[in-house]
Amino acid sequence: MAQTEKYVLNMGPQHPSTHGVLQVQVELDGENIVGAKPVMGYLHRGIEKLMESRTYVQCVPFTDRLDYVSAMNNNLGFCMAVEKLAGIEVPERAEYIRVICAELNRIASHHVFIGSLTNDLGSATGMIYAFRDREKILDLFNIICGARMTAHYIRIGGVAADAQDEFLRDTQKFIDYVPEMLDEYNKLFSGNEIFQARMKKTSIITKEMALKFGMSGPNIRASGVDYDIRKIDKYGAYGKFDFDVPLGKRGDNWDRYMIRMKEIAESAKIIQQALDNMPEGPYMAKVPKVLRPPKGDAYHRVENTRGELGFYIVSDGSTKPYRVHIRRPSFVNLQALDTMCKGMLLADAVTAFATIDPLMGEVDC
Amino acid sequence: MWGKGLITGMKVTWGHWFGKKETVYYPEEKLPMTERFRGGHLAFDEEKCIGCKLCAISCPNAALDLTVSVDENKKRHMESYVHRIGRCMYCDLCIEACPTKAITWDKNYEFASYFKEDMTYDALVEARNRRGNNE
Amino acid sequence: MHSGILYSLGQSLREILTSLIGVPILVDLLMTIICATILLLIMATSALVFTLGERKICAFIQVRIGPNRVGPGGLLQSVADMLKLMDKEDIVPRGIDKWLWVLSPILLLVPSALIYAFFPFDDGVILADVNVGLFLLIAITSQTVLPFLMGGYSSNSKYSLIGGMRTVAQMLGYEVPMVFALMGIVMITGSLKMSAIVEAQSDVWFIVLQPLAFLIYIVTALVESNRPPFNIVEGESEIIAGPFTEYTGMRWALFFLAEFSNLMCIGILTTTLFLGGWHGPDFLPGFCWFWIKTLLCVLFYQWVGWTFPRARVDSMLSFGWKVLLPIALINVLLTGVGIYVYNVM
Repeated sequence: MAQTEKYVLNMGPQHPSTHGVLQVQVELDGENIVGAKPVMGYLHRGIEKLMESRTYVQCVPFTDRLDYVSAMNNNLGFCMAVEKLAGIEVPERAEYIRVICAELNRIASHHVFIGSLTNDLGSATGMIYAFRDREKILDLFNIICGARMTAHYIRIGGVAADAQDEFLRDTQKFIDYVPEMLDEYNKLFSGNEIFQARMKKTSIITKEMALKFGMSGPNIRASGVDYDIRKIDKYGAYGKFDFDVPLGKRGDNWDRYMIRMKEIAESAKIIQQALDNMPEGPYMAKVPKVLRPPKGDAYHRVENTRGELGFYIVSDGSTKPYRVHIRRPSFVNLQALDTMCKGMLLADAVTAFATIDPLMGEVDC
Repeated sequence: MWGKGLITGMKVTWGHWFGKKETVYYPEEKLPMTERFRGGHLAFDEEKCIGCKLCAISCPNAALDLTVSVDENKKRHMESYVHRIGRCMYCDLCIEACPTKAITWDKNYEFASYFKEDMTYDALVEARNRRGNNE
Repeated sequence: MHSGILYSLGQSLREILTSLIGVPILVDLLMTIICATILLLIMATSALVFTLGERKICAFIQVRIGPNRVGPGGLLQSVADMLKLMDKEDIVPRGIDKWLWVLSPILLLVPSALIYAFFPFDDGVILADVNVGLFLLIAITSQTVLPFLMGGYSSNSKYSLIGGMRTVAQMLGYEVPMVFALMGIVMITGSLKMSAIVEAQSDVWFIVLQPLAFLIYIVTALVESNRPPFNIVEGESEIIAGPFTEYTGMRWALFFLAEFSNLMCIGILTTTLFLGGWHGPDFLPGFCWFWIKTLLCVLFYQWVGWTFPRARVDSMLSFGWKVLLPIALINVLLTGVGIYVYNVM
C-alpha cells in the first residue's frame, strides 16, 4: 500500500528568491503547501538599541538602513517624530522637497517590487527593465544628496541641502517618462496570459484577515481596505495634493501587483503637483545645534512604501533618545505568509513572498 | 483572444533586442560623480583645520580617530587624522559639522582592496602626500 | 540520385577508403565512426556557441551588452567558462546514492547524442535513415526523463527530488500531444522515414499544411527541452536547479551540455518536420539552408524564453492534457478529412 508523508522543505536564508535572508520552513504535501513558517533574525543589527546611545541627529542615518530601498521614507518618519517631540516647525519648501523625495523613493521601491516579482516568476528580463528605470531615480538621488540608496537627506527640521534646478529639471523629465514606462510594463507582464494565470486568484487575503493581521500599505489596500496614512493623517504637505488611493477587490497576488502599478502613477501625479507649486524659502528650520527635546514621548507614523511605518520615541530630556521603538510594516505584513501559502503550490509560495514584499532589513531591524 | 498578450510582450523584447543599450562600459567609460557625491576617502586640508574635533564628535559610529596636539601658542595642531572606512556609513555628518570646511570627500570610489588594513588610513598623511606630489 | 556537396564529399571519401582497405564491412564501420565523430563534434560545438549566443541574446533583450571581455567581443567567453568548470572542485555530497548519482549526467548525454543520427542534414546526408525514424526519435527523446529522475532521486535533496518528479509529470503530459501533433505529418507523408518527410516538403512546407500541429509542436518542444517558459524542472526561483542542484564542476557541465544539445535538437526537428529541412532556393547548398533555418528556430526559442515568465506546474499540466491533446486529436481528424478530400478531387 502506498504511503504518503508530509515533509518540511527549508527555503532560505540562502535561496534565490527569498528576498534577502528570510528563511521559510515550508511544510509540503507533495507540492501542496500545508504550512509556511517564516524564521527571521539573520539581519538583526539592533538598530533600536543603537539609537539609544546616539544623539537624535546621529540616529537619522540609521533609519536609512531599516528599509534600504526606501530610505527617504524612513528618514521622513523618524525626523517627523523628532520634530513632533521637539516642536520644530518645518519650512514649506522643505515639506515639498520631502514629498518629492519620498514619492520618488516610493516609485523606486515599487520598481524593486516589480523586478523581484517578475524575477521570481522566471522572467529575468522584467527584472532588468524595472531596475533600469529604478536607476533613473537613484541617479536623481545622487544629484540631490550624493548617495543612491542610503540617502540621509531628510533631516530633523528640513532637508540637508536645497534642491538644485538640475534635480527639479531631471525629476520633471522622469515624471514625463513614467506613462511610457508603465505602458511597457503593462505590455510585457500585465497583459501576459502566463503572468495573469500565475497571479490571479492565488494567495488570497480577505478584508477580515488583512485587518486581523494588522497589515498595512499596498497589501491591505489590495484586500479592499481604504487605509492610506497619507490621506488619513495628511502629514507634511500631503494635505495639499490631490491623489487617489487605488484599491483592490479580491486581495490576491494580482491585486497586490496592480495596486503598486497604479500607485506609481499616483506618486507621479503627486510629484508633478509638488513640482508645479514649489514654494520659495528656506529648506531648513532653525534647529538648535544640540537638540534636547523636552521630556515626554511622541509617536509618528508615515505611509512607507510597505505600509505604516511608525516611530515611537521616548525622551528623558537629554540629547539622546531614552527609547525608540519602530513599528515596521514588513514585519507585521510577513505574518500573513502562512495564510497566503496554505493550499497553494510551491511555485506560489515564491510569488507570495514577492507580493508581500518584505524587506529583511526592516523585518529584523 | 488568448495569446494576444504573449505577442505584445514579444514585440517589446524584439524592440529592445536591436535598440539602444543601457550599459556603461566601465572602466573604459566612467560616470561623472555628482557635486554632492559622498564617497571615497576624506580629503583633508591641514591649513583650514582648527583642531576642534567636531567631526569626530558628530560621527555616529566613531569612525574618526583624531590626535590633536597643542603648541606653546595654545594653537591646536592635528597629529593624525585616522579614518576607519569599515565603520563609516558615509552619512556626511562630519563634513557638515566642520566649521571651516577643512574636510571634503575626494570622490574616488575605486578603493577596493584585498586587505583589511587598507580600510584604515590617515587622511593627514594622504593630504601631505598629495601636496608633495603636486609640488 | 542524391545531389549536394556534402553527399558527394561523403561518396568520394567512401571511394578513397574502399580503394585503401577494400573490405566493404570495414569501410562501412570506418565511415560510421567518422560520421559519429563529426556529429559529436557538432553537438559539443553547439554547446559552446549557444552558451555565448544565449548570453548575448538575453543581454540584448535586456538592454545590456553581455560578455565582452574574453577574446574579441567576448567570443571566447564560453571557452573560459568551460575551463572554469573543469577547474572546479568535484564535490560529492553526503548520503547520495553513489552509482545513480554518478551515472545520471553521463546517461543524459546518451539520448541527446543518439538522436543526431536521425537528422537529415542535407540530401542523402543522414547517418541512420531507418524506416521508423520519427518513431525512434520520439522514443529516444523521452528517455531523457530517466537520468533526470535518477539525478533527482539520488541526490538526497528535496529540491532535486521535486525537480525529478516534475520531469516525469511533464513528460507524461506533453509527450502525448506531441506525438499526436506529429501524426498529421506522418499521415500526409505516409512514412516515418525522416528523409521521406523532408522529401515530401519539396513543394509545400508542412508549416502551411499543418499550422495547428506546428503550434502544438512549438509548445511541446519547449517543454521537452526544459526551455523557459516551461523550465519547471529547474525553475530556479522555486527549486534552485531541480535535479542539478547538488552537482558541480564537470558533472554539472554535462547537464549543461545536454541542455544546449536539446535546444539544438528542437531547432533541427522544427526545421526538418515543418520548415522543409534542407529545401530552399538553389543559390545556396542544402546544408546551408538547413543550418540557417535551425539557427533561426533556436533564436526564436531563445527569444520566447527570455520574454515570458515561467508557467506553474499545475496549469502547465492541465494545459497539456486539456487543451493541447484535444487540439492535436482534432488536427489528426482534420488531416484525415483533408487527405480524403484531396484524394477524391
